[in-house]
Amino acid sequence: MADFTPEELRAKILEYLGKKDKAKNRDIATAFDTSKKEVDKMVNEMAKEGILEFLYLGTSYVKLKDKE
Amino acid sequence: MTEKKRPLLDELKKGKWPSFVTEMEKSAATKPAVNTLLNLVERSFEEKRVHWKHGGIVGVRGYGGGVIGRYCDLPEEYPEVAEFHTIRVNQPSGWFYDSKAIRSLCDVWEKHGSGLTNMHGATGDAILLGTTTPHLQDCFNDLSDAGFDLGGSGSNLRTPSACCGPARCEYACFDTLDLCHHVTNKYQNELHRPMWPYKFKIKISGCPNDCTSSIARADLSIIGTWRDRIRVNQKAVAEYVDGGLPIKSAVLDYCPTKCISFDKEKKEINIDNENCTRCMHCISVMPKALRVGKEKGATLLLGGKATIVQSAFLGWVIKPFIKLDKEDGYQELHDLLEKIWEWWDENAKVRERIGELIYRKGMGEFLKATDLEPVPQMVHHPRANPYFFWYPEDFAAEKEAKEAKKEVAGSEVSE
Repeated sequence: MADFTPEELRAKILEYLGKKDKAKNRDIATAFDTSKKEVDKMVNEMAKEGILEFLYLGTSYVKLKDKE
Repeated sequence: MTEKKRPLLDELKKGKWPSFVTEMEKSAATKPAVNTLLNLVERSFEEKRVHWKHGGIVGVRGYGGGVIGRYCDLPEEYPEVAEFHTIRVNQPSGWFYDSKAIRSLCDVWEKHGSGLTNMHGATGDAILLGTTTPHLQDCFNDLSDAGFDLGGSGSNLRTPSACCGPARCEYACFDTLDLCHHVTNKYQNELHRPMWPYKFKIKISGCPNDCTSSIARADLSIIGTWRDRIRVNQKAVAEYVDGGLPIKSAVLDYCPTKCISFDKEKKEINIDNENCTRCMHCISVMPKALRVGKEKGATLLLGGKATIVQSAFLGWVIKPFIKLDKEDGYQELHDLLEKIWEWWDENAKVRERIGELIYRKGMGEFLKATDLEPVPQMVHHPRANPYFFWYPEDFAAEKEAKEAKKEVAGSEVSE
């Protein structure tokens, strides 16, 4: 399983969501072969900073804030 | 408008007990939707099928749970209940409200919903039954202003619930109300944001009487217990005997480990505490004579659930004793809980509960992942533990012995 620094993971999440409308945390973790716990933590942090927002469609998705 | 006849529902108004039909009819006087709902229920009874379906996803801003969309499958015939969503409101610990809080809850619901409530649902929440999509956000805003929050629904942490604990019960082995309040506040993210394979329920009972029935209904049961001796007041035991309590049939015969003996002459009981499983039956029958021990804490059980992927499970002991320390914010419990969630989240299939995952992967893997020590309490008796799989190599010696026996028998026949 890949081990990223917080900065690396943050950059990877931003890059991944830049190419998608929305994604589940699990899909992000699978894409980078990293632990979902770490992705959850970083996504929550980025949501608090207003960079990401959650969408609730049966389960939780994240997207870049204001991205159409 | 002529009143529609509802002969089947009328049957449910008979008898000396309160009737939900009578109560709903009172509510129907001011809420037309309730009258329509009664007509729909009558029709369901006639046709022996329900007329509710899941529809679109409904919710309030910032929350992934707490609102359950309910739609009638005959919206043209029953337009007033075409949308009849349920709202789960997080109940206070131990279900203690003051009258002002209940009034404010009811006022919000009179304003935004049908006025029908279910106090409380099996989840523990205060259930508000029946509103429409345009009312949801305003209802939530008013509930928030009144100091309430939504409970859990979907694939997230469900609203933790606790028995009344030390507020009203002398048996409580820890402060269930504080723990429930603490867990609810600590895991707000897990409660409102569905990110797990499926739901996870925590129920907290202060003693082995398990008033929240957590062992059957919660993924994690926290049940109060003690690890020293049951405190015995022999004078009070003698008073029970003099008062006519049949000690043998009412207490001794029910003891699952037969660890109690009774001295008829002295009118005293003796408990072999080493073999006591803390079922608490004796204490419940003779509360004036017996008391729980002084060194109190809780037993943790994991995996209770109703039937879906696998059959219904009762919770399985994973930690026979944990000291629930308020001072350090229940750190030991949180550390373990978060390890359990991480393993489950990484390994479970969609809609697989923690008990089912342990069943599929084996108790050994679970214990390794969570750094828990195997203890005898995890095993009912050898080879009867449904959480443990015996691998083929375990049977190698047995198989060899059987084959050798066959060979011997074969050679005896041929001779």
